[in-house]
Amino acid sequence: MRLAFWLYEGTALHGISRITNSMKGVHTVYHAPQGDDYITATYTMLERTPEFPALSISVVRGRDLAQGVSRLPATLQQVEHHYHPELTVIAPSCSTALLQEDLRQLAAHSGVAQEKLMVYAVNPFRVTENEAADGLFTELVKRYALTGQKTAAPSVNLLGFTSLGFHLKANLASLRRMLTTLGVKVNVVAPWGAGIADLARLPEAWLNIAPYHEIGRTAAEYLEKEFAMPALYDTPLGVEPTLRWLRSIIEKLNEVGAGCGAAPLSMPELHDFSLDGMSAPSGVPWFARTADMESFSNKKAFVFADATTTVAMVKFLRDELGMKVVGAGTYLERDADWVRRELEGYLPGELMVTDRFQEVAKVIEDELPDLVCGTQMERHSCRKLDIPCMVVSPPTHIENHLLGYYPFFGFDGADVIADRVYLSCKLGLEKHLIDFFGDAGLEYEDGDAAVDASVASGNGHPPAGASTEGEGGMVWTGEAETMLKKVPFFVRKKVKKNTETFAMDQGEGEVTVEVFRRAKDSLGG
Amino acid sequence: MLQVPGDGSIIREDNVTHSFCGLACVGWMYQKIKDSFFLILGTHTCAHFLQNALGMMIFAKPRFGIALLEEGDLSKHEPSLEEIIAEIKADHNPSVIFLLSSCTPEVMKVDFKGLADHLATPEVPVLFVPASGLVYNFTQAEDSVLHALVPFCPQAPAGEKSVVFLGSVNDATADDLRAEAEELGIKVGGFLPESRFESMPAIGPDTVLAPIQPYLSRVAVKLERERGARTLHSLFPFGPDGTRAFWEDLAKMFGIDVDLSDREKAAWEKIRRQTDLLKGKQVFLTADTMMELPLARFLHSAGAEVMECSSAYINKKFHARELQALEGVRVVEQPNFHRQLEDIRRERPDMVVTSLMTANPFVGQGFIVKWSMEFMLMSIHGWSGVFTLANMFVSPFDRRSALPEFDRDVWLEGVMPSAAKVS
Repeated sequence: MRLAFWLYEGTALHGISRITNSMKGVHTVYHAPQGDDYITATYTMLERTPEFPALSISVVRGRDLAQGVSRLPATLQQVEHHYHPELTVIAPSCSTALLQEDLRQLAAHSGVAQEKLMVYAVNPFRVTENEAADGLFTELVKRYALTGQKTAAPSVNLLGFTSLGFHLKANLASLRRMLTTLGVKVNVVAPWGAGIADLARLPEAWLNIAPYHEIGRTAAEYLEKEFAMPALYDTPLGVEPTLRWLRSIIEKLNEVGAGCGAAPLSMPELHDFSLDGMSAPSGVPWFARTADMESFSNKKAFVFADATTTVAMVKFLRDELGMKVVGAGTYLERDADWVRRELEGYLPGELMVTDRFQEVAKVIEDELPDLVCGTQMERHSCRKLDIPCMVVSPPTHIENHLLGYYPFFGFDGADVIADRVYLSCKLGLEKHLIDFFGDAGLEYEDGDAAVDASVASGNGHPPAGASTEGEGGMVWTGEAETMLKKVPFFVRKKVKKNTETFAMDQGEGEVTVEVFRRAKDSLGG
Repeated sequence: MLQVPGDGSIIREDNVTHSFCGLACVGWMYQKIKDSFFLILGTHTCAHFLQNALGMMIFAKPRFGIALLEEGDLSKHEPSLEEIIAEIKADHNPSVIFLLSSCTPEVMKVDFKGLADHLATPEVPVLFVPASGLVYNFTQAEDSVLHALVPFCPQAPAGEKSVVFLGSVNDATADDLRAEAEELGIKVGGFLPESRFESMPAIGPDTVLAPIQPYLSRVAVKLERERGARTLHSLFPFGPDGTRAFWEDLAKMFGIDVDLSDREKAAWEKIRRQTDLLKGKQVFLTADTMMELPLARFLHSAGAEVMECSSAYINKKFHARELQALEGVRVVEQPNFHRQLEDIRRERPDMVVTSLMTANPFVGQGFIVKWSMEFMLMSIHGWSGVFTLANMFVSPFDRRSALPEFDRDVWLEGVMPSAAKVS
């Protein structure tokens, strides 16, 4: 037992729903108490889903437990009736897992065909979001993948792209753009947007691409073993990794192609990968060599993220931007060994492995790096410490679901990340200048300060407690002033102004509590 | 169908879904009671819920936290919270700690009452608050918090006649209600809860309890039983109609006759643009925050046609006046969401008032939507809240007409690849 305030990884149920919410024709039924379907809100509010996510809850109430009643069969019937899913994944929550019910037996009572139901019960006290998501996705691939004819043209599957993934759509677009330039077809993207039939035809592709260590890799390994499909597990983050990634794809596809006598692929001109088709595919190599970027050699960076991102970002910052990495860590303990191996020689000390944000904040406070690449929580910690931080990793947040094209993968991604590093650190530099020369010219917007200032400048009137005069020359009684302070600061200025205008219109000489109240009635709060 | 005094009937279905559990109340209760700490004995799920669904980030010193049950704790006889309580006291020095239950420890049959008593000291009481989703929905756990606070309300002597408002509202709203009561000649005993633990109001046999939130029936009954207090059974103070009835009925309990018909008329006049727009509009309320009955009643009075008002929990006595006012309206308790979805698709209401989980999908299907949780976060009580309340219903219509035509086939393409083709 420990006191927790905030956790990096979500629950197993969250991981399961990330997979099923990505897929067509697949429904999740949570067997859980009222409220455990809060997860639905993460999809409808963060991804702003214009349709209902395929998630239902078979509510377990205290009374049902006492009476030995289960709503699961009825819920499954309703789901069948309303949505006709090809597959329904049934998952218990942490509390119902303890009940040790036979969910298969209960599900059978629904009368829904057995092959359309799947109980996915992991130990929610041991398994968390990523492991559950990766596990379920692998199970689904095992269940549905079929031997099939290879596609005529060279093709790949993109595996592990999952609902609520970090900058998911932009990353996918960046990879698609490069594959198009290579002349390679995408056979299936999964689970994002894939249906059962798409899983069935996964083996028709020539190659599997699984760039996330957390989700999709296990399924690719299974396909490698059972269907002899080659796989590429590298993460194309940064210019050099992207180039290596492209060469690996060509090499692996050509090996497959050689077997069926297909014409070999070759690397296109690099400018073909650029947005306008006539420039360098990325600005990073030149940017890193410019004179003003020399100062980055002394900039200290700290990285804390999921496994994939920690590895890729540390390498990018050191190898491509020439920064000094003073430390790194991950919250994914089960992937820590892989991260350590990948980052051998990169870190001055031990890799930090923890799921307690306070410990990460402590390290940041001790190291005082010039740049932190972290999660939303590090951004939050850094704000308190006044250290520049860019968010590079899940857990996802509404600010990671922007409309613009901000990939982290590929050439386009390298540019996006370098821009963010530059903007984050530059602000840091400006801040130092300001600290050095004083804060002249910087004006802080602060509602409280604004109101207090107007109180203080009450032109000869007695200070707060008696009557004071606002900007418009309107006098406020002490009591009315106290009441005004109870209005939330971000609207206080506006309320103050409106009230004074109201009082003036009403021919009032001063704002009393009574006038203020009438103003509120008339103007609405 | 259950018969209700006032002749309306309530349809009862199988369960409410797409809404939060009682732990949601932490979101506003810890901010209301400023010297408190809210400790949830729960799991990863509870933590994930609070940080995601409620979007609660951790501020410098959060006054809520989760005593996280991990696998090793499941086999233990009783959870041991001493160290965590010590940590909380050292870091936060709270005047009171609320210990909230959640689903897993309830399934484990943790003796929460015993646990809280064991952890309590004379200096820092630890109060058990039942809040788990096995029993409680969304706002209902505020009722549990107030319930737990009852022993800390001093006994008011007989003959001391005053009103105690039930429900947590922000200070500005509380000040308005207090001033309004005093203007009517009603003595105000305070609010349950006040914003500090040591200043909970005195309650006795001559206290009149005026519930200002519609989800606090249990604490009212407890105070009637234990202190002999009387509860105001009126409309809740939302909208011109509700506010007038609330104050007139409250005054009556103090032997004061007031006629607020002019005030009500003026309030309606003030929101004429809004009611003109709402007139004849068909509105469907799915169950979420348990504020649905008074909200529907206001819409009904404003001339809208409420197609369905559903709520997680309806108390025939506590909500009697609201139910009466909603006579003829389809009222559903514990609604089945699948059925509602079919009805909404068939009946095509002009507006759907619904939860965070369902708001955007309804918009995606072309409906005008108001998300219900917003009513918890806005000052909509009393006369000063009338304008805000009316505007909240009108602004989705205004916004829809302000934006250009929307071709869903074009602008929703690729937004949700898992969705069947949006129809």
